[in-house]
Amino acid sequence: MSKQHELDNIIRSIAESGEKLPAPERRGFLKQGLAMLGAAGVVAGAGRLSAAETGGAPSVPPWTKSLGPGVVSNPYGSPSPFESHVKRRTVDWLTADKIASISFTPLADLKGIITPSGVVFERYHAGLPAVDPNVHQLMIHGMVDRPIILSMDDLMRFPSVSMIRFLECPANGGMEWRGAQMDRLQFSHGMLSCCEWTGVLLSTLLAEVGVQKDAKWILAEGADGAHMSRSIPMDKAMDDALIVYAQNGEALRPEQGYPVRLINPGWEGNTCVKWLRRLEIGDKPWYHREETSKYTDLMPDGTAREFTFLQECNSVITSPSPEKPLKKPGKLWVEGLAWSGRGKIKQVDVSFDGGVNWRPARFTSTVLPRALTRFGVEWNWNGNPALLQSRAIDETGYVQPTYGQLREVRGTSSIYHKNAIHTWKLNSDGSVANVQIS
Amino acid sequence: MSRFPELIALTVSLALFAYPSVAEKAKPAGYYGHGEPATEAQIAGWDIDVRPDGQGLPPGSGSVEDGEMLYEEQCAECHGSFGEGEGRYPSLAGGEDSLREARPHKTVGSYWKYTSTLWDYIHRAMPFTRPESLSDDEVYAITAYVLYLNELVEDDFVLSQQNLAEVRLPNEANFSDEQRPDVNNTRCMENCRDPAAIEIISQAPQYEPPVIAASAAVVAVSTPGEDTYKQSCALCHDNGVGGSPVTGNAGDWASRISAGTESLYANAINGFQGEAGVMPAKGGFVQLSDDAVRQAVDYMVGASK
Repeated sequence: MSKQHELDNIIRSIAESGEKLPAPERRGFLKQGLAMLGAAGVVAGAGRLSAAETGGAPSVPPWTKSLGPGVVSNPYGSPSPFESHVKRRTVDWLTADKIASISFTPLADLKGIITPSGVVFERYHAGLPAVDPNVHQLMIHGMVDRPIILSMDDLMRFPSVSMIRFLECPANGGMEWRGAQMDRLQFSHGMLSCCEWTGVLLSTLLAEVGVQKDAKWILAEGADGAHMSRSIPMDKAMDDALIVYAQNGEALRPEQGYPVRLINPGWEGNTCVKWLRRLEIGDKPWYHREETSKYTDLMPDGTAREFTFLQECNSVITSPSPEKPLKKPGKLWVEGLAWSGRGKIKQVDVSFDGGVNWRPARFTSTVLPRALTRFGVEWNWNGNPALLQSRAIDETGYVQPTYGQLREVRGTSSIYHKNAIHTWKLNSDGSVANVQIS
Repeated sequence: MSRFPELIALTVSLALFAYPSVAEKAKPAGYYGHGEPATEAQIAGWDIDVRPDGQGLPPGSGSVEDGEMLYEEQCAECHGSFGEGEGRYPSLAGGEDSLREARPHKTVGSYWKYTSTLWDYIHRAMPFTRPESLSDDEVYAITAYVLYLNELVEDDFVLSQQNLAEVRLPNEANFSDEQRPDVNNTRCMENCRDPAAIEIISQAPQYEPPVIAASAAVVAVSTPGEDTYKQSCALCHDNGVGGSPVTGNAGDWASRISAGTESLYANAINGFQGEAGVMPAKGGFVQLSDDAVRQAVDYMVGASK
């Protein structure tokens, strides 16, 4: 059906339906119908009926006087169409194309600590491979007594573990080393997510193959066209590295490495190789492209740090934020997210005056190690401009640094691992801007 | 026969149950026995990685001269004829002594640590649109040419399995290990800085969130008959609830069909009080378009003749 034809049909059906209703309801119905038209490209606002029109009831929309579709009309559910703005987005100028690129999690619209699977940020080096789990295999070889090759069925026969852990690209916020330039939270901090991951501890698989005495490193390699590869130290593999096949209660999403990926909790997302096909055990690191040319941190003296795996303590206020401006002064709930690759978050403080004075926030979620942690604090906004900041402290006592402190050591060219205290400027009209302050 | 062995067996299994960590440690390789042993041929088929010491390199070689032609064919479109990088694709050459500058230019010659990385990456991931399409000799040749573009080898150079690890890159010595935590902020709560000294030093463009009106609402209005039936009509008409004619039961429908299609449409759209029961207007699904109801009626009639 052509767009115009479709539009005509919608208009006609709205008009016809409306004619059969009593006058006040007809008006409401027509408003609702106009809202439907919005889907066809016409901007319209659905309104509530006045108290006089509804006889005092707050509203009497059509859905309260009719039946909706039955079960399995949408067999795999999706968010309300009114939430269709909550989605991954990319920034075109960041990369040469969309095949080797990144998208961002819409943090401002998310609640709690779990990132819904469908909006977890994407990072591809050769696009999204369509991997058939019946064909896919995971090989473990190298300095082991018994090299093996596992089908997905084989892998799922090992004892499983589930853990809620954040996953963050080390370049998260990396566009702002030299100054604020991303206009909203999704782009300033959205290479970040937190899911429940289920799979087999890498240590279980290493025990199965029998790691030889001098083995120190493991190469993880993907089955995508980039054959993305990273060298992982044996200590991490034996600690909490997880070979993951499920995410938030269901099979991994293709974007997250279906049917199997590596998760190194608290470490650079890039080390968490997706579409994992191979683990080779060796005595030295491989120094592949993603651990030399990329994912190394260039310092002001021209040297670069390598194997900087850890994602250090960080935090950001998610509301208010550029996407969540304030409608009016008065009491409001300020909230945000904190996380640390070293372990649990111990404390988050919030400042409304650019870091002069701070107030302790409280945790509104479970506090888990290496997981996003939700904090909040009540604030009475007087309507004046304000500079909002959050500062997280993790269980090791590490305090999230200022931009000044970070730049003093690392300059502005290191791209990765920017975890500075972030500032939102709240304007008197309630709008919010991303700024950096002296 | 003594029952003693059974007691021992019970004791052992209880001990294993009570001390799983001891049992874990005692597990030999292959404890679970899941999967298949990986054969040498399987390993060789996937084992593509190369290390700085040359481990993993296959036999073969390639010259700068051969590399030039291949590079022009396979690489220049994105990386530029001189390795300068087209658009935002990576630049491969140049950038000497730029790492301390405000805009460092990181290339194979100015930044990369090992030659093996270049061979490994071309072999595993390049050309971008056709990974793993180059022969080993072609990878040696292109690697040789990229080294030449960086003025690291002469134009008559031939790179091979034997000499690759000997080609050292200028920036090799300039990498160091992890040194974090490398900052030491402290938790101050009051009067932590001079408010007068606070200045906004940079600001991103102001974002104005779109007004999220009902424009996002998508309501299916033109549903084909069967879908509409399943979603809206079947709940009564599948089973004759409230005296409704059962879909597929020709006896229930014969007299109704003989009254004419327009009559059926009108009763379905506007509602109808009959002897057997009540048909609410559109079955109560007022969001359905008249056309959708007509299509559902057509479906029911078609299925009930």
